[in-house]
Amino acid sequence: MVRFESVGMRFGSGPEVLRDVTFVLEAGSFTFLTGPSGAGKTTLLKLMYLGEPPTRGLINLFGNDLATARRADFPELRRRIGVVFQDFRLLDHLSAFDNVALPLRLAGRQPEDYEKDVDELLGWVGLGGKLNAKPATLSGGEQQRVAIARAVVARPDLLIADEPTGNVDADIAQRLIRLFAELNRLGTTVLIATHDRVLIERTRAREMRLVDGRLVELRAPRA
Amino acid sequence: MRGRIAPREAAAAPLDVVIAIMAFLAALALGASLIAERAAEGWREGLAGRLTVQIIPSPNGGAKDRVMAETRAAAAVLKTTQGIVTVTPLSESETQSLVEPWIGGGALIADLPLPSLIDATLSPGAKIDLALLARRLKAAAPDSVLDDHTRWIGRLRNLADGIVWSAYFILALIAIATAATVAFATRAGLEAHHDIVALLHQMGARAGFIARAFEWHYLISALLAAMIGAAVAAVLFSMAGGLELAGIEPVPFLPPMALRISELAWIAAIPAAAALIAWATARISILAAVSRIY
Repeated sequence: MVRFESVGMRFGSGPEVLRDVTFVLEAGSFTFLTGPSGAGKTTLLKLMYLGEPPTRGLINLFGNDLATARRADFPELRRRIGVVFQDFRLLDHLSAFDNVALPLRLAGRQPEDYEKDVDELLGWVGLGGKLNAKPATLSGGEQQRVAIARAVVARPDLLIADEPTGNVDADIAQRLIRLFAELNRLGTTVLIATHDRVLIERTRAREMRLVDGRLVELRAPRA
Repeated sequence: MRGRIAPREAAAAPLDVVIAIMAFLAALALGASLIAERAAEGWREGLAGRLTVQIIPSPNGGAKDRVMAETRAAAAVLKTTQGIVTVTPLSESETQSLVEPWIGGGALIADLPLPSLIDATLSPGAKIDLALLARRLKAAAPDSVLDDHTRWIGRLRNLADGIVWSAYFILALIAIATAATVAFATRAGLEAHHDIVALLHQMGARAGFIARAFEWHYLISALLAAMIGAAVAAVLFSMAGGLELAGIEPVPFLPPMALRISELAWIAAIPAAAALIAWATARISILAAVSRIY
């Protein structure tokens, strides 16, 4: 599903923020990406969701080598990825409903086809009564849940989430992790960057640990 | 429930004002070219198929009788020329009335040594050997000068062509200025909405989808603004026509400033052209901007 080989990344003439990162995410796997702040987690996710090209190394996504893939194919690859950004990136002028429906609109689906799905999903993340609310009127936790609903609504092949439970209480966090687990059960490969040790211990998934831009530990899922 | 992916641009009002002004100027230029074209045609039609013979009075004040005799002789030559259907010598008062709009009436005109004029009309399609006719006239009336208005019509045609081409040049400049303004506004708009463009791009939107989300705003905005500009120009042209209808005397030789209905249709095309320019410019700018993102 995803393969990184000796991937390095630096911004401008600054120091390398990722160094010789090599790993494979198998299709249908559930992985946590951990590490201290500034370890390069967000940069690694950015390379994976095609937000930036690496400065060296190879990235293979869904069987496509990104160095040789046609740029014209990138939109198609990006549509197979759901991303929960750390800063949510909701469109302020759209309602919660329209924000969540955005990936479906990009996929060319008609409102009558997706209205029910979006309503249900927003209900599932506890925002059933706020379909028409604009992001500015929602709390940080509510905005995060809209962002998560938007990332999963199109049933992506790969779900990438950057600190998806950082702004919600324990109950909602548990609920969101159940949502990710359910999506994973249906076949989506999940990668979650988090600091939340409790969440990691409870989920018992595979863990990749980054320190100073290097992958220092790859822990297999515990039984 | 389906909101616009690109937000409404409250900050685009200055662009609307610029486009309205551009459309107004374009309508004036286009109107001027149409009037010049029509005037040239009118002058040509008025003078085509006609000849004028002048009997120039002698500089040292020769006898009026001689001028009259030469006028009669020249008229006789004209009447016997194949292809000329009417020959009308103008009376002294008719000749004076021709110059009156420029130098006024009264005693001054009476003292002027005005030529005696003969107006001749040709049959449609008549081919007359003008050189031979001029020689025959000279033989009968040595002070005669034959004028078939070719030079005059040619100069008018050149003047009208100059006005028309100047108008086209101005229209081209306006189109370029409009495109440049829209390109600038689009870039500023994309800069302001970089987060939206980046997010759509990240979610897998193709450049065409992003362009469509934004370009319609520029198309509709330009269409409405240009309609206002063109409408103001059309009202001005109509008011000019109203003054002429009210009997306010137009400047001699200048054509009526009012536009006909068929000509107003050209003015109506300006908003469509402005909208097309704005749409194409915005689309090209957006596609170029999106292509620069990884």
